[in-house]
Amino acid sequence: MTARRLLTSSNLLGAALVAVLLLLPNLTTAFFVNFVMTQTFILGLAAATIVFLAKYGGMTSLAQFLLFGVAGFMFGNAAQETGSRGLNLGWSPWVAIGFALLVTVAVAFVLGAIASRSTGIYFLMLTFVYAVIGYFVFAQIVEISGPGGITSIQRPDFLGPPVRLYYAGLLLSVLAYLGFRAAGRTPFGLALQGVRDDPVRMASLGFNVRLYRTLAFSLAGFVAGLSGLLNVWWNGQIDPASIATGPTLILLIIAVIGGITSFEGAWLGAFVYVWVFTYLRDLPLIDEIGITEARFNTVIGVIVLLIMVLSPEGLTGIVQRLRRHVGARITALQGPALGGSPSTGKRAKESGGMAT
Amino acid sequence: MSKLRRRTAPAASLAAALVLVTAGCGGGDDSAGLPADQQGSGGTAAADGDGVKLGILGQCEGPFGGFHEDAAAGTTLALARFAGATSNSSTSALDGFSGAEAAGTPIELVGIGCGDDTADRILQEVRLLVEQNGANVIVGPLSGDEGMAVAEYAKANPELTVLAGISGSQEQTLQIQAPNYFRFYGDGAIWNAGLGDLLYHQQGWRDVAVIADDYSFGHTSAAGFVADFCAVGGDVTHRVFPPLGTTDYSSYIAQLPNPDEVDGYFWAVGGTGTQAALEAFINSKGDLTGDQHAGNLFFNPDLAQALGSDIAGAHIGGFATLPGDVMTPEIEEYLASADATWESIAGSLSGNEPAPPSTAAAFGFFYGYYTAGVALVEALEAVDGDISDVDAFHAALAGLTLDLPYGPISLDENNSGVVDVGLSRLVVDDAGEVVQETVAIVPGVDQSFGGTFSPDTPSPGRDFPACDERDLPWEGQATPVVDGVPQS
Repeated sequence: MTARRLLTSSNLLGAALVAVLLLLPNLTTAFFVNFVMTQTFILGLAAATIVFLAKYGGMTSLAQFLLFGVAGFMFGNAAQETGSRGLNLGWSPWVAIGFALLVTVAVAFVLGAIASRSTGIYFLMLTFVYAVIGYFVFAQIVEISGPGGITSIQRPDFLGPPVRLYYAGLLLSVLAYLGFRAAGRTPFGLALQGVRDDPVRMASLGFNVRLYRTLAFSLAGFVAGLSGLLNVWWNGQIDPASIATGPTLILLIIAVIGGITSFEGAWLGAFVYVWVFTYLRDLPLIDEIGITEARFNTVIGVIVLLIMVLSPEGLTGIVQRLRRHVGARITALQGPALGGSPSTGKRAKESGGMAT
Repeated sequence: MSKLRRRTAPAASLAAALVLVTAGCGGGDDSAGLPADQQGSGGTAAADGDGVKLGILGQCEGPFGGFHEDAAAGTTLALARFAGATSNSSTSALDGFSGAEAAGTPIELVGIGCGDDTADRILQEVRLLVEQNGANVIVGPLSGDEGMAVAEYAKANPELTVLAGISGSQEQTLQIQAPNYFRFYGDGAIWNAGLGDLLYHQQGWRDVAVIADDYSFGHTSAAGFVADFCAVGGDVTHRVFPPLGTTDYSSYIAQLPNPDEVDGYFWAVGGTGTQAALEAFINSKGDLTGDQHAGNLFFNPDLAQALGSDIAGAHIGGFATLPGDVMTPEIEEYLASADATWESIAGSLSGNEPAPPSTAAAFGFFYGYYTAGVALVEALEAVDGDISDVDAFHAALAGLTLDLPYGPISLDENNSGVVDVGLSRLVVDDAGEVVQETVAIVPGVDQSFGGTFSPDTPSPGRDFPACDERDLPWEGQATPVVDGVPQS
């Protein structure tokens, strides 16, 4: 029974996807692997934390890039041995990784505890304030951020060749994807969803609503920290501008493009963003219609707008609707003999609920 | 069961997208299958004998986004003059060029990168140019923090050759010291060499407040002025550093002393912030008294038009070019060659509106990229067009002395330019216009400032260098300029 449950088409497709991704360095260019896909994993991982908080906790956070930056800056300070930037603590990479994640989770816990009282637009704005304050903290307190960022950050030896960073991104993405989904079925995740749906009732049942929100925020912070570590290893430097409001909003845009209630959407959105950034400008004649490098942000804006108009649930919502549409057509063609109608209706209802 | 099935679609779409793109990107590419750790960054194309694949790093967004055309045009002009290039457009350099060849080696433009003044973005741009488009020579970037990021990238990719565009931070050459990163112009500190000396001895300044952008170029520029002004006995009483890209400068202006409390102000607020900062000063401290202000690259005719003639009297540190009142046959030839290459160029000095190309060519942003282009051609000729030996090519670059329209440029041991610095002043001409007039030229300035700055000293910052008296090689050595003629 267990084996049969595992052999679903969904799981098989997921396994096939991972297999393709594992083989990708042998299938395509080094640039595509090391630039496009590695960046996709880094941004997807960070965007997935937004999805996690929004999907299970009803909290749309704009502070995830700040936590991503905290991890990067802390690693830079701890691991660098020499230079005129940062604290140059010169610790071993493993200690530096632990330190960076510890500080990130601690910051996430404190920020989460403060924000745990608010929801909806107030939570969004409060976390945006975090992002702005965080930027200025790193821009102004140059002892921990530069001045002008920490450069020449070396990745640990075990991640030497760039392709290993790609595999690290893939591994962490798979773990985060499975972990976040599994978290939704744990008592913690179920309680968190209860807090999302009816905090008053949950509180009256004895659940500590604020604690659940704070812990969720801390967990998301931990994963954002992992993403931040991958980023400094990939980029070799981190700058206060890396976590300014622009990149912060881009991360939210990535989550929205993919579909903010779908974990797959985080990576899909990241992939679309990186792909558009990388390749769209090289399309023949694209500059003839006024889309030059300088218009790139406009292009992203138009794409987001189109996706939002077509589907508030993002790209995954579009795919889901297409699937339902095709499924309904097939059911209609096959006729009532297969008994498709009742379940189709039920499925549509469930999907609608998912989008809320 | 239906829940699980419902999740099939997104997974399938992601898989399909990946497979499609993988197929699209992998097909027909020579480097397909190349292990990522062996990926050639720069130099692969050169080693294959494909000639120079050139990438230009400009900046099309951010505080210096208005200089994108200037950057591309500067390099294009050098290749048009000395490598037979033809611009693909008569009104813009951003459309690229064709037909460039030096010492039998073709120079192909593979892309123009678009920065936004952040290190993250310029790293993405340089990676696109090098790792995707196969560039083995990069000209650029434009701005200070970008320069440090690209220098670090060059250091990690020794096969690549980078000729900096006009990025003025000191650290990119003095501290980072990438052997394949070359800067054929001065840094932000160099551009203020001699300015403090002049203001102290000729204008009687003793106490000065400094306001500079809070990033590497602002720090470097302020450091040059502080080192120079304090060297001769002056005192810097205030140092204020607003973040780059600030739009409301009022809170930073409030931190400055009033005009009756200091002898002058040194400004290193650039890009889109210059006018906003000076306007905030007027709102807070009253009208400008020109001879109480100094800065570098910040006072241009547009600014004077916006602020009025009160700004006349301000002193200006050097930049890459000399002001228009110094006109030698070499400069005239250079400007004429720009006019012969395009019908018009929408450079920053014309407000990004079409104007005679010589207008853009006379400005430092254009010229910095021009010097890089000239260096590329001369280095190719020095190695007979053979860049398969990258070390020899780099040695040739490091050994160049360029005879350029605005003065000769050679490189120091850190591959940074040793240049002549032109100091100037804003004056009102006969037509009532505020124009720049050269007052002195400080010859042969290098970035060490007589030992003030070295690879072992901290990077220029909010507190470094301290305001101490020190010996500077050029103190009292400036060549006066009268009516555009150096009095040597």
